[in-house]
Amino acid sequence: MEKDLTPSGERKLECDDVSKCFQLLESILDGEVNSESKETLDGKLAKCQPCFEYFHLEQAIREVLKTKCSKQPVPSELASSIRQKIEEIK
Amino acid sequence: MSEVQKKKYSEKEKTNIFDNEFMPHIDSMYNFGYRLTFDEDDAKDLVQDTYLKAYRFINSFEQGTNAKAWLFRILKNSFINEYRKKSKQPAKVDYQEVETYYNSESVDHSITSDLRVDAVKDMIGDEISNALNSLAVDFRTVIILCDLEGFTYEEMAKILDIPIGTVRSRLHRARNLLKDKLRSYAQDMGYDTDNED
Repeated sequence: MEKDLTPSGERKLECDDVSKCFQLLESILDGEVNSESKETLDGKLAKCQPCFEYFHLEQAIREVLKTKCSKQPVPSELASSIRQKIEEIK
Repeated sequence: MSEVQKKKYSEKEKTNIFDNEFMPHIDSMYNFGYRLTFDEDDAKDLVQDTYLKAYRFINSFEQGTNAKAWLFRILKNSFINEYRKKSKQPAKVDYQEVETYYNSESVDHSITSDLRVDAVKDMIGDEISNALNSLAVDFRTVIILCDLEGFTYEEMAKILDIPIGTVRSRLHRARNLLKDKLRSYAQDMGYDTDNED
């Protein structure tokens, strides 16, 4: 998907306000900024190489965290032991 | 939790809330506990303790509000108040130096330009988990809450008792630390992480 967005090296190589832009991109990825439409975002990313790279890197990291982080199976007796303790204090 | 407990739920309602709103989160709770302590028994104790407190203070839970966030807040407080006290690790680490470094602009830029999307996508679960687990607990926690559990900044602020602005900046720092870890794994995997442009 990223490749479709890459129109051959026309982006500026330096971002004027890295910190502000990166924090905004993070908020967008976290679903905290809704006012940015997809088009506005794509427009911005099409103009700035550091922002473009940052956005896709952050997106990839969120994706692997969500899908690949190993999960611990809940010990089978935990729920019943909790219920038993609740019965005792009732 | 408020000191004064109003009796607003009947026994039947309590059981209903406990079974239908609290217990379904046991999986997330246990994993949160485990990621905080890295110990199965400690995680079990934390979760059990949290559910007992949740039941005891059930009258201060507003039905229809986010039960998961409410439970996570209790677990986090139990962890800070009881687990950390018990354990030998120092309760507070001075993050000042780390925070200053990882919040600087040069770090923003260098970390990003040195780590490739492909390298991240090729990593296996163990590498991702290890990178996350290597972060100091305060940084690890915000990533767990945001990316693994899907809480909003506002919910995180309530769970952690910190302002939303702090949630945002701590997340930013946590992610920079995580990227630093991932970058060193990428180097070990033989990916060229130097900026060749």
